[in-house]
Amino acid sequence: MSLTTPNPTSTRVRPGRLAPQPGEVIDRRRPVTFTWNGSTHRGFQGDTIASALAASGVRVFSRSYKYHRPRGLLTADFLDPGCSVQVGDEPNVRGGHRLVENGMVVSSQNTWPSLRFDVKAVNGLAGRFLAPGFYYKTFIKPQLLWPLYEKVLRRFVHAGEVPEAGTGGVSGETFDKRYAHPDVVVAGGGPAGMAAAAAAARTGSRVMLVEEEHELGGHLRWGDADDLATLRDLRAQVAAEPGIEVLTNAVVSGRFDDNWLSIVERGLPQVFERLVKARAKTLIVAPGLIERPYVFEGNDLPGVMLSTAVRRLVNLYAVRPGSRAVVLTANPEGDAAVEDLRRAGVEVAAVVDARAGDTVVRATGRSGVSQVELSTGARIACDLLVTAVGWTAPTSLLNMSGDRPVYRPSAARFLPDPQRMPDDVLATGGIVGDGTVTELVAHATAIAGAAARRAAARARAIGEAVPTRGDDAPALPDPDPTPVDVPVLAPADHPELFRSSTHGFVDFCEDVSSKDLVIAIKEGYDSIELVKRYTTVTMGPAQGKLETVNTVAIVAEATGRTMAETGTTTWRPMYAPVTLGALAGRIHEPVRYSPMQRWHEQHGATPLVAGQWIRPEHYGDPAAEVRAVRTGVGIIDVTPIGKLDLRGPDVAELLNLLYVNKWSKLGVGKVRYGVMCAEDGVVMDDGVTGRLGEDRYLMSTTSSGAATVWEWVEDWLQTSHPDWRVHVTPVTTAYASINVAGPRSRELMARLVSGVDLAPDAFGYMQVRTGSVAGVDDCVLWRIGFTGELSYEVHVPASYGLQVWEALMAAGEDLGVVPFGVEAQRILRLEKGHFIVGQDTDGLTKAYSSAVDWAIKLDKDDFAGKPELVWQREQGPTTQLVALQPVDRATVPEEAAQILGEDGRIAGRITSSRMSPTLGRAICLGQLEPSLATPGTLVTVRLVDGRDIRAEVIEGLAHVDPEGTRQRV
Amino acid sequence: MSDTHGSAAGALARSAVEPRVAVTRSGWVVDARRSVADLVLSDESPLAKMLVKGPVTGSLGSALATSFGRATRTEIGGETALVVGSGPGEWFVVGPPGSAAATVAEIEQSVSGRPEFVSVIDLTHGRVLLRLTGQRAAAVLGKVCAVDLEDAVVPDGAALRSSVATVVTDVVRDDRDGTPSFLLHCERSTGQFLAEALLDAGVEYGIETTTLVGLTCTG
Repeated sequence: MSLTTPNPTSTRVRPGRLAPQPGEVIDRRRPVTFTWNGSTHRGFQGDTIASALAASGVRVFSRSYKYHRPRGLLTADFLDPGCSVQVGDEPNVRGGHRLVENGMVVSSQNTWPSLRFDVKAVNGLAGRFLAPGFYYKTFIKPQLLWPLYEKVLRRFVHAGEVPEAGTGGVSGETFDKRYAHPDVVVAGGGPAGMAAAAAAARTGSRVMLVEEEHELGGHLRWGDADDLATLRDLRAQVAAEPGIEVLTNAVVSGRFDDNWLSIVERGLPQVFERLVKARAKTLIVAPGLIERPYVFEGNDLPGVMLSTAVRRLVNLYAVRPGSRAVVLTANPEGDAAVEDLRRAGVEVAAVVDARAGDTVVRATGRSGVSQVELSTGARIACDLLVTAVGWTAPTSLLNMSGDRPVYRPSAARFLPDPQRMPDDVLATGGIVGDGTVTELVAHATAIAGAAARRAAARARAIGEAVPTRGDDAPALPDPDPTPVDVPVLAPADHPELFRSSTHGFVDFCEDVSSKDLVIAIKEGYDSIELVKRYTTVTMGPAQGKLETVNTVAIVAEATGRTMAETGTTTWRPMYAPVTLGALAGRIHEPVRYSPMQRWHEQHGATPLVAGQWIRPEHYGDPAAEVRAVRTGVGIIDVTPIGKLDLRGPDVAELLNLLYVNKWSKLGVGKVRYGVMCAEDGVVMDDGVTGRLGEDRYLMSTTSSGAATVWEWVEDWLQTSHPDWRVHVTPVTTAYASINVAGPRSRELMARLVSGVDLAPDAFGYMQVRTGSVAGVDDCVLWRIGFTGELSYEVHVPASYGLQVWEALMAAGEDLGVVPFGVEAQRILRLEKGHFIVGQDTDGLTKAYSSAVDWAIKLDKDDFAGKPELVWQREQGPTTQLVALQPVDRATVPEEAAQILGEDGRIAGRITSSRMSPTLGRAICLGQLEPSLATPGTLVTVRLVDGRDIRAEVIEGLAHVDPEGTRQRV
Repeated sequence: MSDTHGSAAGALARSAVEPRVAVTRSGWVVDARRSVADLVLSDESPLAKMLVKGPVTGSLGSALATSFGRATRTEIGGETALVVGSGPGEWFVVGPPGSAAATVAEIEQSVSGRPEFVSVIDLTHGRVLLRLTGQRAAAVLGKVCAVDLEDAVVPDGAALRSSVATVVTDVVRDDRDGTPSFLLHCERSTGQFLAEALLDAGVEYGIETTTLVGLTCTG
């Protein structure tokens, strides 16, 4: 007697679209047209890509990762490993989840020349050589060939393509981010999740209900009439509660400390993906159960499906999934699938009842299953093999919360350990146990009550702690402290079915078979974590949700341990794959503008990004700007200079503490330069501080040091001298700052300033006045000069900055006034020999190495950095700041070029260098060993191109006007 | 510094936030457009803004009648002012355009003769003040600010300092005629960036800009 059942092809119905089903989600009034690998297909709104293609008779959707075997639908939902497709420019789209749209261009990924005839399927023939660790072992040596390996392997990578100019998303859409603070987040919108959300909301909790599918309902959606009635009722309950925010097509992708949840929403209007950062007071985990594949030879052939996949296809999308089926069932879901198939007109050739000890041994076929061999020895021809062998509890969020689920053999699945779950995380639904829908709803309702009470207690604690609530704020919740009585939801008995007597695929994403796992264990990788890393099992896009339990079972079988002893791999965020765009969300990188920014833009300024500031680098010719300042007058926008308003009777004490020089005798109307060191004596900032009134000072800092100095000042005041009566307020951008520089600057200022005598003897160098400029009162004028020229630094109330700037340009037109930018200022200050903290010094440069010996007053009682500077003076500095001039006047050594000693060792470095328009030669500042720092010494400077040039150390730091007569006129 | 500058003819004060359609009002260049959208952002920078510092505990808090974390309206110098307890020992006071000098003088007068060390600084030109108004205002802020802005935590009259679009910002819930409204007070040079970030976040809800609103409700 032949054991093979013939395939009665003459009488069977073909796969395709069914008549309307009671729970179908497609809208037959709205047909859509799309292409699949260039061929036009039709579907309906509500179809997924997979269901629409399945309705067209498509069976093969992809080629597998390693062996390029044909793959079809397995789960027909988000997790389906055989259904990752390319949609337009977007790779790795879950075809079992993404809804099909009109005009969509869908293609298979990484197949050549076509999905049907994939050349790379030759890997399958070489399968015996592609053992676990093949890549590790094969492509490690020689390292020289890594780039070549990379190119070849990249051709074989199982993923789609992002065009170089592509966005990876849809044009016009964006990635978004938002924060949320719900009382209760319910992860999972099945019957338990819906019931929990409604129950929590009824207590007054703000609830966020998150469901991965496009609509709420879970397994009720593909259930019978009673299920559909319950579904309608639960949906109505959710809709009736305004306190519930429903997020569909969304997933709680991670749970972090203190219930910080990352939730990814997909496919919103104008938003491709949105990351919701939720601080949930309590989290209810209700993801239901995931059906587990069965491991046997040929289990990856197209046409081998899980029972839930079949039920989805038939009931949600009205798709007949095959013509002739064999069903392996171990539970009621499998039994129900049999009924669904019969109702759909599929011939059920055999029902193999695993509960009676029967099973499937192997499936065979070329591009799809064509025959199934049973444990009875029978061979049955079919094009559809349905398995219903058990469930995986997706405990990821619980594991992320610190739980360690425990394996229960009688239920053949892992279950949460309630003792290890934190108070703010609860679980309900199938992940906890089994029951009727009524029992599930009762459990969820009780859990929601507990969650709501805990959330309310947390809300009350927060409300009582924050200072922002006034007397008329909404009342805080008053939770009932009585524990909620939660009914038992026990898991039902289920046979343990993981692998048949043959080997098959365990991880369909990574092409890892049970044989691979056994080999890995034989090679010594006998712990579940090592097996995972060595074989990559559970590391694919499904992230173990389909594979982990089977892996544990096979490792346990191969090692002789129990599943409980074997344990599971670690479930970490993300629960589901997310895009980098979703993680980035809206990118906020603040930029800062001066009040004159628009003028600079309108007058051709080249922008310079200086930290957060956008500054004019130059207006076309920085050398000409330098010459204009040296011979006439120029103005520069120096608004970013840090400014601190210091008030109080103890400001002088503070300045004495923070600066290396003395401040006690600074009179009203005077300005003094100061150098600030950290405790280690390293120069941290410099600037001038003016005394505007008896108890009022204005401190300036470097532009980049403004925030640091403010924190430094506050730190000393708050921690060391809270007794000092000083208030410090940052006013950097309260003023628009303009430096008017050049020999004709006094002439220009005289045309606009009132209330201040600008005569040299009345307003001398290093003095400060307040007065009116261009009709704007309360301007602060400093006579200081970073450029080495007669100059006035004007601090204008910022809202009038543009007015004063334009007035200066207009009033100085006949004087030839020009705007100059940061580059010209850098040249001017270098000509003058002024150093820049952070450029001519670094994180190790102490004050005695910065040519400010004259300012350091070690006879002061104390100041920040004094002990280190005492030590440095005793030891002598290791380097000194010097001015250098290359012998070859035309060669400008690069900044950071090394200065070499006579014996060739590194003896210093160039810190600043430019071609001086004033002198017509190259000029530099540098840090140099003291032994070479004597004026007149010739040193060697090694250029970036390897050439050596000679440069001479000059007297002092100033290349131009070393006597300082120009700035003091 | 005071916001009474520019008495000379033609002196114009400009906020850091570029107006869409410029018009001059009270010596300030402001946005002329008046929107009737449900969600609007206005630049309130012309309002006088003063920073007051003093002991955390002492008579200053009583004189200003506002505790840390709260904001209240009061009369200062005959003008309506909003006093915000912006930090421990720190208040910022918002008044009508041009009122800074008088407000500073009145506060200084109210604490003169007391042993407490108090300082008052006019920061009108050093800060930007924005107002976001609408039923979805909290939703917009929720895209750029991590703080829970629900009524239970941030009711009308609440004040806090936080990161808004990564800009250090004082956030004040100051509802207008029962409609949620938030004042956002930040350092001037980042004002334009903050305004653009809020407009970007509000696109989903149809946000528009509108002209200077001021402190008093229209009723």
